[in-house]
Order: sequence, then structure tokens, then C-alpha cells
Amino acid sequence: MTKVPHTLAEWRAGRYLFDMAKRIILILLAVVSISFAGTTPELGIHDKTPTVKAFVNARIVQSPARTIENGTMVVADGRIVAIGGSVTVPGGATVFDLAGKTIYPAFIDPVTEYGVPNAERPRRRWGEAPRYEAERAGADAWNDALHPELNWVDEFQPDSKEADELLALGFATVQSARLDGILRGRSTVVTLGEGLPNDLILKAYGRQFGSFDKGSSEQQYPSSQMGAIALIRQTLLDTDWYDKAQSAYSRNPAQKAPETNRALEAMQGVRTDGMVFETANALEILRADRIGREFSVPMIMIGGGNEYTRLAAIKQSGVDLILPLEFPETPAVKDIGDEYDVTLGQLRHWEWAPFNAYLLDSAGIEFAFTTHGLKNTKDFWKNLRTAISCGLPAQTALAALTSVPARIAGVDDQVGTLEQNKLASFVLTDGDLFDEKTHIYSVWVAGEKRHEEIKLDQVDFRGNYTLQIDHRAVTLKLTGDITKLSGKIEIDSATSMTLTDISIAPDVIAFSAVLDSLGMDGTTRFEARRSENGLVGFYVSADGGKHQWSAERIETAADEKKKKTPEEEPPSRISRLTSPNIAYGFETPPTQQSVLITNATIWTSDEAGVLENADLLVQDGKIRAIGSDLEAPSGVLTIDASGMHVTPGIIDEHSHIAIAGDVNEGTHAVTAEVRIGDIVDPEDIAIYRELAGGTTAAQLLHGSANPIGGQAQVVKLRWGAGPEAMKMPEAPNGIKFALGENVKQSNWGERYTVRYPQTRMGVETIIRDAFQTAREYEQAHEQFGKLGKGDRERTIPPRQDLLMDALVEVLNSNMFVHCHAYVQSEMLMLMRLAEDFGFRLASFEHVLEGYKIADEMAAHGVGGGSFADWWAYKFEVYDAIPYSPALMSERGVLVSINSDSPEQGRRLNQEAAKSIMYGGMSPEEALKMVTINPARQLGIDRYTGSLAVGKDADFVIWSDNPLSMYAVAQQTWIDGRKYFDIENDHKMRETLSQEKSELVQKVLKTGESSGRKDRGGPGGPKPYSGQYDDAFDLWIGAGEGGYYHD
Amino acid sequence: MTKRILNLVALLALVLSGAASAHDYVPGAPQSQPILLKGGDLYTVAAGVLPHTDLLFENGRITQIGPDIIPPENTNVIDISGKRVYPGLIDMATTLGLIEIGEVRATNDQTEQGRVTPEVTAATAYNPDSELLPTVRSNGITTVLVYPGGSLIQGRSSLMNLDGWTREDAAEKPVAALHVTWPRTRIVTAWWMQQSPEEQKKENAKNRDELSKAFEDAHAYYIAKKADPSIPVDLRWEAMLPVFDRELPVIIYANDYRQIEQAIAFGRKWNLRFIIAGATEAFRALDLLKEHNVPVIVRRVLDLPPGQDDPYDAAFTLPHLLHEAGVPFAIATYSSWASRNLPFHAGMAVAFGLSKEEGLRSITLTPAEMLGVDGEIGSLEVGKKATLVVAAGDILDMMSHRVEMMFIEGKSVDLNDRHKELYEKYQRKHWSEDK
Repeated sequence: MTKVPHTLAEWRAGRYLFDMAKRIILILLAVVSISFAGTTPELGIHDKTPTVKAFVNARIVQSPARTIENGTMVVADGRIVAIGGSVTVPGGATVFDLAGKTIYPAFIDPVTEYGVPNAERPRRRWGEAPRYEAERAGADAWNDALHPELNWVDEFQPDSKEADELLALGFATVQSARLDGILRGRSTVVTLGEGLPNDLILKAYGRQFGSFDKGSSEQQYPSSQMGAIALIRQTLLDTDWYDKAQSAYSRNPAQKAPETNRALEAMQGVRTDGMVFETANALEILRADRIGREFSVPMIMIGGGNEYTRLAAIKQSGVDLILPLEFPETPAVKDIGDEYDVTLGQLRHWEWAPFNAYLLDSAGIEFAFTTHGLKNTKDFWKNLRTAISCGLPAQTALAALTSVPARIAGVDDQVGTLEQNKLASFVLTDGDLFDEKTHIYSVWVAGEKRHEEIKLDQVDFRGNYTLQIDHRAVTLKLTGDITKLSGKIEIDSATSMTLTDISIAPDVIAFSAVLDSLGMDGTTRFEARRSENGLVGFYVSADGGKHQWSAERIETAADEKKKKTPEEEPPSRISRLTSPNIAYGFETPPTQQSVLITNATIWTSDEAGVLENADLLVQDGKIRAIGSDLEAPSGVLTIDASGMHVTPGIIDEHSHIAIAGDVNEGTHAVTAEVRIGDIVDPEDIAIYRELAGGTTAAQLLHGSANPIGGQAQVVKLRWGAGPEAMKMPEAPNGIKFALGENVKQSNWGERYTVRYPQTRMGVETIIRDAFQTAREYEQAHEQFGKLGKGDRERTIPPRQDLLMDALVEVLNSNMFVHCHAYVQSEMLMLMRLAEDFGFRLASFEHVLEGYKIADEMAAHGVGGGSFADWWAYKFEVYDAIPYSPALMSERGVLVSINSDSPEQGRRLNQEAAKSIMYGGMSPEEALKMVTINPARQLGIDRYTGSLAVGKDADFVIWSDNPLSMYAVAQQTWIDGRKYFDIENDHKMRETLSQEKSELVQKVLKTGESSGRKDRGGPGGPKPYSGQYDDAFDLWIGAGEGGYYHD
Repeated sequence: MTKRILNLVALLALVLSGAASAHDYVPGAPQSQPILLKGGDLYTVAAGVLPHTDLLFENGRITQIGPDIIPPENTNVIDISGKRVYPGLIDMATTLGLIEIGEVRATNDQTEQGRVTPEVTAATAYNPDSELLPTVRSNGITTVLVYPGGSLIQGRSSLMNLDGWTREDAAEKPVAALHVTWPRTRIVTAWWMQQSPEEQKKENAKNRDELSKAFEDAHAYYIAKKADPSIPVDLRWEAMLPVFDRELPVIIYANDYRQIEQAIAFGRKWNLRFIIAGATEAFRALDLLKEHNVPVIVRRVLDLPPGQDDPYDAAFTLPHLLHEAGVPFAIATYSSWASRNLPFHAGMAVAFGLSKEEGLRSITLTPAEMLGVDGEIGSLEVGKKATLVVAAGDILDMMSHRVEMMFIEGKSVDLNDRHKELYEKYQRKHWSEDK
């Protein structure tokens, strides 16, 4: 039997040419028998049209790396049977002479919804209660956003309208799935051919598709990105459990059968198949990658267009990328004042986005392109050419449209390159594919012409002709595009008449003209065909007389055009790339410095107290010495801080900055499974602003919409770092609880009255029930763990439940509970409940009636994370008093003052100072409420929160007494790195404003300005700008009930 | 003790039943004897700081300022050596007396239905017994401008003193200004915005037209009324008559640059006595404000910058920039309970460049001038009302802020409040538990 060449080198050696000739004959014989392979009965006459075609004299781009200058491709039954420079055309083949033409592998779009039905978007039904349960049908998943069991091959129907759109762009193959929900089902890979679905499928069961977006699901959960992540994580755990449970049951049917779950069955292969995951930006890629790594699921990411901002991290992740070819709208800056609506980040992204593909390629990251995400499919070629003009090599562009998506879609054995045995799906052009002047003549799918832009025998009529008419010689000029001509008849350089109604068929041209300058009446109509040396035809004059005419060709239009085309300036960038890529981002991250601060008033927040005229030595990110007259070791930067004050970095124990998406998974009453750590957003300008107020660390908390909320994340405000590098791994885990009006939905509107609990009584019981169940859950796991190996395999294991896991951690005192609470009754309740279950609460948040039960709190050992003076914004805070922090402190409660607000998070020193006026606290104690006390509440006091030898060098230099209204932070340091410097800040303002002006000028120069909607997007402002206040905690993320709170 | 608890229960019951709540502190009686504040440092605002100077007030008015004043007979002489005297602080925007608890709808009387409601007046609904008021005056605020809410023409604000039996005796100026919110000009691209930029621009223009139409109608009424005082009364336009006589100032709430620019043109077109309020982006419009001599009410100094690209301290430095540009300005809190932080907004402006004198002026005399009551309050001057505060330290700095006495028109004001009461009450709980 014939050997197939395995490498191009073998191929080139021509070793198989002889074999191949024999092989072609065999294949041609086989064609007849293959046609008996279909199951669908033919009800009429059997179609036996020969399918053998030979494309000769073509320039064949087989793959991005290999081109045959004058080649032949033989196709039979849709497949390439031979391809090369010296292939023999078999007798009986239909021959297509492609002299002057080029063929390329047709494109593959790895992300489409081609041929699958659209999702029904949720209907808005005002006044209807929120829906917490799924619409169950079949043995499906508990959540409507999860339908991994759907196989889109089951729904696939070719759609000629959609196909035509994609074919016109050069695509012949697509991967299709409905892009709706979190687990979206398995794609199917199909050609854009005609016929039965059965005959168009290249890969019936493609990869599972996923996203963070619940899409058309009307079920409440999940309402946030962290909820979506938790849901994916739990589903992947359940997938493993399901397998174990089923096999245990099959080994031992004498036990209660585990549930049947088609969704979990469908997920079984996801580790080998991988998942195609849709993201909105580079940070989401990193988030999805983390889940992929956790469960060893290979991830292919659909990007959001700003991958260039995180090249190193994306490169390191090693994920495959699919890039939408959409660029941001040109910002509208026409009118004075418009520029304030556009951020520098948005302007930068507008400028940089077209370079994204080029920059990814330069960084060695492979990607495919997709039409998905294009607002207008017609922009595809324009944007592709823009990307190339921005430096993307044409070869990479071709790979991104052919070989890479073929591999991603798992069909690289069938399409993606033009090689023997692959499908004859190709694009036929008259030149280099990416050249603006090149025409796509036709697009072929599996050997059939599916789209034709220009016929192969189209005559190029363009050129100048000497036209003989009415016994006079004039010049006929035909210019423009080969299929769209314009023209005129010139008597001399001063006198000409424009042609109208020009129409062309492949070999006929017709047009009309008013030839008054030639003294002819009315409109004259012309028609002609190509002759040996020009045109020959007839014209009909105004009087109806039909006359013959001819024209002799002088010069070709193409030649003329070539001369005229001016060199276009290659695009360039004027804006900077910073981390994060918005105003005030770092061009280079701050480095760790050895520094000696001298002659300062040092507030240690430690036993040493306040030291006058003291020095602080920092080395390797740690505090090395504090005292007087310290010697500066060589190479140490000395800062003379005479008249200045130095304090520990301020710690905000209750913050919601730097969180991507919703702060609340405000749906279920218990959401212990969600984690803020999954959605840390290092691109929030609030981080920089808080550094400017001396804040160096924060606990990022879940909102207060649920009695048991999500897990917290302690971060240092390392501006410019990635999401993982902001985290403080040494901090103990924490979780947010909440009580009172928010969790009983008192102020959510009349629709929200169906969720348990609606009273403070129910708040107690739902928490009690959760912990009771968690204890039983832990016991069940322990019992299972005690079984011998054999028994374990025969017993259905208890399922691992992330929600319960978190509660078990609380029960075992491995997770700190930080509970939003206002009134004394509910705080007493939770303390007693915790005591019943044998754990201690870490802190009450806001704790407005803490002063009423200070002794009880001290006895329990719970801290108070208080507002300084908030009250009266809702009924449960009507008894709040600003003396509470002082009174609690006096009675031995560990009190911190925190912000709950990106505004107050910048000046917690002032909030702390309020306890000096309300309750007479000493300044030193007041400062502790925003330094060491919150550090202790968070369990990070060994590392930060006070100035002591060996601790992290997190500190602030102030212009004045830090408890005074007049103190301004001059420098803020974390780990011995300077993250804020007021002098640098002032310098940066200048450069940023100049950069913005230059970008605005650049936008104005492009002359484009759009009125289309382009919401948010990379570099844009966060969706809030004001105080969160308690209402923010509650509302943001409360689904459609939520509102933007100023 | 029991009585107090019963009071509390009664109070809660009142609140729950939807009625406005009431505090227990007895308003000061009219001044019956001369009072001499002896030896304090007088922060006069009008004439700088006068150290160790006496201040005498009689029948509610300041009668003498100077060293070693010889008191008239029957004078209550109070030695305040080492302490400071300030004019009562004035917050130019609060909802005090109109909103007790934001989330309890029955206690919220701030915003009337409709977009053009010039006929409503804040004082009508002002609750002088609100529990919030004593907590605010405890921090030195004697007088607040209470304004109605709304989306276009909100209504008329009232300048209220934070002590009184009724809204009538608490009113410093019951009809103080007409309030207009300038229609939005900013194009929002955040996720929650459903309208495209073009749609937003159209909508914004439509809102401006609606505002213009209201002024045109009101002006037509004004002309007709001048010609024939017996025409049928339209309450809305009747309320706006003094605006066209430049008697009633118009406070136009305009935050971003374009709003400010348009509002100034509008004010000039109608020849209004107007003030730009909010003004978060006034730092982009300094020349314009100066050129047309437009005063500004700064909405909160302790606030975030208006835009992502703006300097972190944009709100902190705004008062200093306005002062340097020669634009008169007041600082206001635009809040209810948080009105008590008014002095710290001024303090923050001082931390970021403003002088302490100007900081103090922005919450005393300048507000009084804006509302035409600078002959009565706003500074320590002979002839003015004895509306003043005695403090142990710097009133702009919470580290030393300690208000010890307050007089409104010579009446001694009870500085107790709900918070001090509860503080005291629960101190007793803990002390008793110690035994």
C-alpha cells in the first residue's frame, strides 16, 4: 500500500511522487464505492456528478510556512488527493487554470454560534419575586447556568444566511456552540458546506465551552463573578465525586443509589478534552487559568483584547488564546469637555488594542482569531489588516486563521493546511491574501465552490482605450475595482463626460453616457466585449439607431494605479504602557530599597510608644532597627524626616476596593463557598488613592447581603502587582457574616420577601442549621476516611461541598469570622451561637451598638471593627454613637476603625482621630485602631501593623501629627518599596495630562468619532465612584434590584 | 432611668408608626441678661483673631468686643481664658429636619413629586425636634441651609438655626434660595448605562430645554404679573417672582465642567443672582467663575476625585484653588447626620493649601454673604446676632475640636444630645457590672 509522507522534508524529496500517481488512481476508483456510504434514502435520481477536480498553475500557500509557486492540487470527493509542484493531472478531471491566482487554506473560526439556536434572553418581569430555584428538566444540573450535557451537534442545522456571511470572509469551517451560560455544552465542528448536517460535521463532540457569565439563566445564583467561579469549582469537584459514587454503587448496589446527573456525566471527559473559556479581559484569563490549574483542565481562552497589558503572566500561564478581531470604538472627543468622559486608560487602550496581536506574537504567545465579538462582521478584514499594519507578521495572521484554530478545534487532521487527505477547503485570490488590493475570488468548502465574489473568467476591463465614435477618436478611461468600475470619455484634458450605469458580466461591459460635448443628443447606451486588442460592441444613440464601435487599449489601469499609491505611514503609539494600564500606573515597579529615616517622630503602635527624634532602618523589606542616632550602612538611602512623623502603614480591616465585579453574591442566604480571593482586581485606582492616604493593607470583604457570606482576602496595596502578588498568603483565612436589615432584606424592595430569613430570629436559625450540618458533614467525612480501602471503594463517599468545607474551617478555628452587625441582640445571639459550637468570632463589623455589650464582647473575645461616627441612615443604626469605639476600648474590646468606603479608606487616620473628640482616647491609642489593632483582628500582627524590628517595612511618612486634620502623607512604603511619594505624584500629573492631550489630538486627527455604545471596557472607570456605605454593601450585586449608589 | 427607657420605647413606637421622632433637649430661652465672655481668643472672621479679648452680648446681639469690657449690671460673666470663640458654623447644604432615617420612607420629606417644583419650601416640613439636630450642633454648627431634593427645579431652601421650639422660631431665613439641578452633561459608559452616548446627549439637551421652558414660563408670568397683579395665581411661578427681581438667589447644582459652563451662561442670560453648587470640577472652570464673579458652594472636601484620571486630592485642593483664583466659596456637606463633620471638611482644605482663616470663613461668613444674612450672622462683630461657639481647641481639627458652649441669638443652647445620653447610659451599665 502507498506510504504517506510524514514530513515536509520527505515530501520535498519527491520520494513519493511515483507512489502518488498510483494512489490517485486508487482513490478515483474508490469514489464510486464511497457514495454508497450514506444512510439517507435518495428519493429521486441519484447524483453521480464527477467530483474530481484539478487546480493547476496556482500559487499554493499550503500552510503559513510552505508555499508552492506553481502547483497543482487534485481534489476528489472533497479531499485533496494530491498536491505539489509536479503532480500529474488525472485524466477525466475538471481542470481549473489558476494562472495568476493564489490559493490559501480556508479559515477556521473556533468560536461561533453557527447553526445552533439562539438563547432566549431573560424577560424583564417587574414586581415578580426573584427565582432562587432552577427550571429542572431531565436529570440536569441544579443551576440553570450549567448545561454541560448539551451537545450542540444535536441541535446543529446549516444556516445559509449565516454561512454566506462567514464564507464571504474566507471561512470554511467553524466550531459552534451556543455561547450562553457558565458551562455551555460541547461544541461541534462543522464545515460551511451545503447538505445534510450529517455530512457537514468534522468533529461531532468538540470541547466544553464555559464562561463567568450566567447568560440567559433567570435563576438568582450566581449573581457575581466570584459566585460563577465557585459554581465552576464545585461542579468540577462534583464531577469527580460522581464518578466515585457511581463506581462504588456499581460495586455494591446494596446502598441508596446516588443521583443520576447528566451534567456531571457529561463533565467526565473535561480533563482530557479541555475547555474553551470566554473571558472579557486579561485578568479574567488569569482567573480562569487558576481554576484550570486547580483541576488540571486545559484551558483555551477567548480573550478580551487587552492581553498586551499582561503579556508575561499570560505567557507563563501557557493557555491557548482565541482573539476576537474587534477593537475599541474611537472615543468621542469632538466637543470641549468630552475628554473628561474618557479616561486615559480608555484612550491608551484605543491606541494599543490594534497592536495586541502583534505584541502577543512578539512575546511568543500563539493565538487564533475569531469573528466572535465583532459588532459588525464586515469589520473583520479591515481590522485584520489593521493588526497586520501594526506589525503582526502575515504568516502569523494566516496561522491564526488556519492552522492554529484547526488545532484548537481539534480538526487539524482534516483542515487548516492544504495537504494530502485533508479537505479541499480553500480561498482563491488574485494576490497576497492580506494585501488591500487583493480580491477573494471564491471560497471552496470540501471541493465545492460555496462563495463566489468574482468569477474566474472575469475580464479585467480597466484601462485606457482609444474609442472611435461618430468618426472621432476620443479616450475611454475605465478605472476602479475590477468588479466595480467607473469611467469617462475624454475629448481632451479639459472636456470629459462621465459614464453612468456601468455594469459588467464576466465578459460584457455596458454603460451609458450623455455625449453632448460630442454633439450627440440624449443618452447613449453602450455594450461591448473584450477583443484581441481592446473592446468591440454596439451603441444605441438617442434616435434609436444601433451602431458598432470599437476601442483600442492604450495602458492598463493597474499599472497606473501602482504608480500613484502613496506609502502609508506605519501606525505608531504615543501612549505609555503602565502597570496597571491606567493613570498613575507604574512604568517600572518600585524596587526594594535599604533606607534610613532620621530625626522623625516615630509612632510605633508598639510597646515602645511614640519616639521623638528617632531613626528607622529598613533593609530587605524588613525593619532592622529603631532608635536614636542609627548609623546608615553603606549604600543605604537616608531620608531626613525632621519635623515629620512616621507611623506603621494603615490597615483597613473592612474594604471593598480592588474587587472585580460584584462585591456580593447576594443571592443565597449562605454563600460560604465564594471567595473574594478569586476576583482580586489590581487595576482599581482606589488602590493608589488609598496609598496616598497612608493605607498599606486591607481586608477585602464580601458584602453583607447574606447571613453567611463569602470568604475574605487580605491584601497589601502593592500597586502595579498582579492579583496573586497583592495577596498576603500569611494571613489566616477569613469569612464575612452579616446580620440584621441587610440579610433579612428589609430595604430590598417589596419583591424580596421570599428568601429565608426575613427576621432576626430566622437569621439565628439559618446560621445554626448551617453549622450543625457542617459538623455532621465533617463527621461523615471522618467516618468515610476511617473505612478500609476496599470498603471505601464500595461505599458512596460523602460529597465534598465547598460551602461546608468553609464552615468546618470556622468550626475548627481555622477561619476568622468577621460579622457585619449593628444591634446588640443580634451580636449577643451570634456570640452565644459561636460559643455553642466552640469557636470564637474574630470581629463584628460596623458594630454600632457594640458599646451596649462591650463587656460581653470582651468576655467572648470578639473584636470590633467600627465606623467612627456613622448613624441614622437606616433604622437599625438609630442607636449608633460615635463614643462607641472609645467605650469598647475602655472595656477591653480590641477595636479597629475601618472604612467600608474607597473615600474613607484614604484617611483612616482622621476617622481614628474622631475617638479623641468622642470619648477622649489618647492619640496613640487612636492610631492603634488603624494599625496594630486591625492587624491583630486579621491575625497578621506578626508581620505588619506596628513598627518593630523584624516586621515588614510597611510605613508612612506624614507632614504632621498623623491624628491631626492637617497631616498629609508624604511617602507610603510596603515591604521596603516606595509605592507612593507625593513629589512623584505631582510630577506624574504633568506627564499624564500631557499624554492625555496628545492622545486626544491623535483621536481628533483620525477624524473618526462614534456614537456607538462601548460600555466600560479595559482602562475604563470602575462602575462606582462614591462611598459604598452600608447601602452599597447591600445593593451592589443584588441582581436587577441593585442600583448605582453615589 | 426607667422613665428614660419608657421615653425610648415611646420614641421607637413613634418612629415605627411613621411619625417623626422628637428629641428631649429643651430649646434655649431668649437671652434675659447680658453675657460677657471674658478673656477668650476671638476668631472674628471679619477682623482676624483677637487674642485675650472680651465679648459682650445683650438681647441676642453682640454689643461690645474689646479688652477688659466693663460689664453692665446683672451680667453673667463667663471666664473663657485659653478658649476660643467662633461664629456659629453654617452648613450650606443639609437635609436635616427633612430626613430622619434615610431608609425609613415615612421619615423622609425631602423630595416632592415632579421635576419642576419651585413652589415647595423646606421649612414647611422641617422638624425642629429631629434627634439629628443636637448631634450636629454639638460640633459647632449653629445654622444650616435645608434644601429640597429633586431633579430640575427642586424648590426653595430655608436657613434654619439648630435650636428652636418650632420651625418658625428656628428659622433664620425661611425662604433662602431657589434650588436648580443642572441637567447631566457627562456621557456615561459604565456597564449599567443603557443609553448610547448619542442618546444620552439627546436626553441631556431635552432636559436643558425643559429647564429653559420653565424659566421662560416663569418669566412670562413675571411680566404679566407686573402689568396686571390680578392675573390668576400659578403657585410655581409665583414662587419664582423674586428670582427675576434678583432678590432670591438661585443655587444651581452643577458638578462637571460643562454643567458649570452652561449654568453660568444660563444665570447670566436670565440675569440671576446665582451660585454654582456641587462644583466638583470647578478646578477646570476657575477662569470662567472668576470672570463672571460667580460664588461657589463646594460639595464636600472629604470626597473622591471626580474622574479616574484626576489627582487623588482633587477635592481636597479645590477650596485652595478657588481662593487663589479669587472665587468666593463656601463648603457644604450635602448630608444629614454627617453635617456634624462640616468643620473637618474645612480642615482638610487647610491641610491641602488653604489658610486656616479662609477655611473658617468658608463655613461662616461667606455662606452668610451668599444668602444675604451677613449683617446678622457669620462673624463676630458688634451689632450682629450672638450666634457663636466657645471651643477649647481648634474647631477645624478633630484632634483638638471641643465645643463647650453655644449661643444662638444669645440663647444658651443645650449641648447634650442622643449620643452623649446613650454614652452616659451605657457607661452606667458597665460600671454597675464592675461591682
